[in-house]
Amino acid sequence: AGPKRKEKEPFEIDFAAPMSQALADALYTPASSNSTVSLPKSQWKSKTRNLLPDDKHFNSRQLLRLFLKPKARMGSRRPGAGSGGSGGWAQQGAGGAAGPEDQG
Amino acid sequence: ARICSIFSDAQRNVATQRKLVISLRKLHEECCYEPVNPPKSKGRATEEDFGETEFNEEIGRCLLRVLTVKKSEPVGDRSVRFLGQFLKHASEKDNAIAQPDADTTDAFPETPASRLTSYILNLLLPLLVAKDKTVRFRATQIISHIVNTLDSIDDELFQLVRLGLLKRIRDKESAVRVQAVLGLGRLADDGDNENDNSDDSDDESSGSGILEKLLDILQNDPSADVRRSLLMNLPFAPATLPYLLERARDCDAATRRALYSRLLPALGDFRHLSLTHREKLLRWGLRDRDENVRKATARLFRERWIEDCAISRLPDEEGAAPPPGQLSAPNYDALLELLERIDVVNSGVESGIAFEAMQAFWEGRPDYREDISFEDPFWDELTAESIFVARTFNAFCRHSGDSMVQSMAEDKMPEVTKFAFILQRHLNVLIEGVQKVALEQDPDAEEDTVQQEFAVEQLLHIALTLDYSDEIGRRKMFSTMRESLAMPELPEECTKLVIEVLRMVCDPNPAGEREFCGIVLEAIAEVHDTIIGDDSSVKDESFHSARSEMSDESTPTKAKKVKKSKSSSSEDGEEGAQDEEKAVREIMVNMKCLHIAQCMLQNVQCDLEQNSDLVTMLNNLVVPAVRSQEAPIRERGLLCLGLCCLLSKNLAAENLTLFLHCFAKGHEALQAIAIQIISDILITHPSLLAPLPPGADTTTASPTKSPSKSNDPQANPLLKPIYKLYTRALSSPHLSVQTPATTALSKLYLSSVFKDPALLHSLVLAFFNPDTRANPHLRQALTYFLPVYCHSRAENQLRLARVAVGALRVLVGVREELEVDGEGAEEDMVGLAVVAGCLAEWTDPRRVVGFSSDGAAGSGDASKVVSGDVNAHMLLAEDVLERVGASGCGKEERKALLTLLAKLALPNAAPPAGSPAAEALGRIVASTEEALEGKA
Repeated sequence: AGPKRKEKEPFEIDFAAPMSQALADALYTPASSNSTVSLPKSQWKSKTRNLLPDDKHFNSRQLLRLFLKPKARMGSRRPGAGSGGSGGWAQQGAGGAAGPEDQG
Repeated sequence: ARICSIFSDAQRNVATQRKLVISLRKLHEECCYEPVNPPKSKGRATEEDFGETEFNEEIGRCLLRVLTVKKSEPVGDRSVRFLGQFLKHASEKDNAIAQPDADTTDAFPETPASRLTSYILNLLLPLLVAKDKTVRFRATQIISHIVNTLDSIDDELFQLVRLGLLKRIRDKESAVRVQAVLGLGRLADDGDNENDNSDDSDDESSGSGILEKLLDILQNDPSADVRRSLLMNLPFAPATLPYLLERARDCDAATRRALYSRLLPALGDFRHLSLTHREKLLRWGLRDRDENVRKATARLFRERWIEDCAISRLPDEEGAAPPPGQLSAPNYDALLELLERIDVVNSGVESGIAFEAMQAFWEGRPDYREDISFEDPFWDELTAESIFVARTFNAFCRHSGDSMVQSMAEDKMPEVTKFAFILQRHLNVLIEGVQKVALEQDPDAEEDTVQQEFAVEQLLHIALTLDYSDEIGRRKMFSTMRESLAMPELPEECTKLVIEVLRMVCDPNPAGEREFCGIVLEAIAEVHDTIIGDDSSVKDESFHSARSEMSDESTPTKAKKVKKSKSSSSEDGEEGAQDEEKAVREIMVNMKCLHIAQCMLQNVQCDLEQNSDLVTMLNNLVVPAVRSQEAPIRERGLLCLGLCCLLSKNLAAENLTLFLHCFAKGHEALQAIAIQIISDILITHPSLLAPLPPGADTTTASPTKSPSKSNDPQANPLLKPIYKLYTRALSSPHLSVQTPATTALSKLYLSSVFKDPALLHSLVLAFFNPDTRANPHLRQALTYFLPVYCHSRAENQLRLARVAVGALRVLVGVREELEVDGEGAEEDMVGLAVVAGCLAEWTDPRRVVGFSSDGAAGSGDASKVVSGDVNAHMLLAEDVLERVGASGCGKEERKALLTLLAKLALPNAAPPAGSPAAEALGRIVASTEEALEGKA
């Protein structure tokens, strides 16, 4: 049995309520200047036009094949040779991230 | 009071709003029009002096109560919706009353509803610049909602609304901007319409001015919500279309998805889009990084685009079109048209998008899978479109995990023997076509041959999927492939596929491989002899065969040059022209033979020295090519030599210096080839870089070290030049060199062939350095590589931790330089906090594969690590503290280092006393205290 959930009282507008000071303040206090309610001009333009860079679809497959023999898997000639165990990295999902910008 | 209670009811749910609208309208009419009947109920008597002004004021009063309701509260949105519904209803009623018969709409009569609207707008407009963001949000929302709900508003007010909303598209709050663009989207639309049918020049400019601003917002607004709302609300027009379609690459996945799943299906017939747009939209969408975008694109292709083609083929009868929401029955001709509309001859090549699009098509259209058939006449006349249907259907079925679907391909495709005959026939048509094109007599031949070449490629792709257990079929395919390979006219891509099929029909075991090599080398000899033989025996025909050979190599310019020189040559020039022609022909022959050899070597795995045929080929074809004066031959020869090196460690050891030399002295194309060859060799034969056994003769110049004195293994002398090559390649200005170097380094580090810290350091720098912005391939490769490398093995992570502080120092310098440059140049690089975050993340010992199972109690909590080993974060912490205390450490660098330090997870529990970890922690504590004292 879960803990008893408290029904949250749904918010409703009291249309009959008289004009309170708080409401009047909120309504009729204009912004001190245009700039305080506006987007800084430096953000008006985006260098990238908010577009992704070209996706190169880099993934583990590209690391598992040779340049000269794209169809042959690396190490297929001598299974297990050289790599000493890939530590399972090849199983990790195919990444398609754009670069350091994506890390932020 | 009754108005008040209607609003109270209306905020609760949407379902009853319709009813409430009607009762509010009743009140409205009572207040504004002379009552037709005297009030019946007693209650109304008290409201008798309640007129239109009072009604409007009361609505306004209620509305003000909505303005401070937070964005997240649904009652706010419901109230706004209710108001909109009411105004719409009221103005419709009013218009009906005012002009019961008239159907002219150009005059906007003043009515109670329009007066109420004006009253509300006047009330709200000043609030658009309120200090409170909720008030701005609600005011903008209501105004935009009114604009979108009503057909018309007062002209004067219209200008004020327009100005007010235009200011709000630059609001600080993205929620406000969303509402503003929703309203302006409609105004931009109106403006456009007036361009067409109004002579009022003021309106014209206002409309297009808005549109311009909105398109600017669509590209530049930092909030994806704003861009997405706008995308869905801009009018479709030739002028806006490129801007809308550009959002297919928006950095926000939900925006891209909205484009594919909502905008494009609503856009109308896809055939109105340009071919380039169609191809790009398909390619971007089907290869998107977000799965939902890929799904939406697949659905668009197989349900909307095919439908556009299918519908236009339906007979012009009532009821021929499918009911709304359903799709037309499978139509083969529509499918052919769809493929033609995406230009399958170009988009259907390897790595083109058409193949993926069709896989998604078959996946989602079982009705087409059932319906399609490939009876005998189908194979007689093939078009690029029809054969592509067969190839993609076959591929889809054979790769399907469903045995029912797999057997579908077996049922519908011809059996192997029959297929081999079909293939043979089409190969012959292709060869004849190539010869015709060479003769330049038939103007249609070229176009036909392009189609036929594409068709044969598709047939060969099908051949690669067939089951060759039937011996008769296998033999037929074998002889067909063998014969066509000996044809000098066979185009390159077909040659490659023929060789792959040939490898397939030979046994997979070493004996089969030997047979395969033998057959291909025979074919090479035949190609060689056909042409050279023609030359010496039948002089008259030599010209003809040379030309057909050259067209096959797709160098029409050269072919024409030869022809010109031949026809224009006078008696005494005859000899020279013939010599030149002979030289060109020799190049062509060599290129063709090398290409066959290269394709063969790609499909071979044996030890080169055990196969005398391959050794002969190496000595007689490849080695002379590597020494050739002709650059294309030399490059192809090097590729073949590289492939041979993969099959023989001795050969690789002998030739590594040659490839190093190619990189050092070559131009960028040669450099790229050299990197690829060297990387593949090192991956295949990692022992080439192994330390030399003690006392071994290094042979290369290292006179200072006398082999007799040292008993330790010596570093391999090849390491230094090879590391140097990669360092140079990584900073190459040519992407064609930098990119393979990055990929190669990722491979070599992941397979632990390379352990050098300096190059790893360079890779980290390359990832963050603004100079590599122009190379997304490098960035994306490293985005994948760096975390995978660090998290796959603890020792890799320690290696990276050792270079982290040094890398950070360099990057601080890079950033400072950018800031000196000014003009927002530092935007080209991520902030140092991001750099620190990445470094901490990569070196987090908790992220290493198998961490939780390594006695760490499975919790992933650093405090529980009690292993005695020093982990990457401890190592990094020590380095950071040492650097912070160093004299050369500047303010920015110290700040970045401390950010990094704060992100490191050190164990709370004490490691075993006396262990390396305990000692490291002791040092960390000591230097922290030292640093604190220094600051105090």
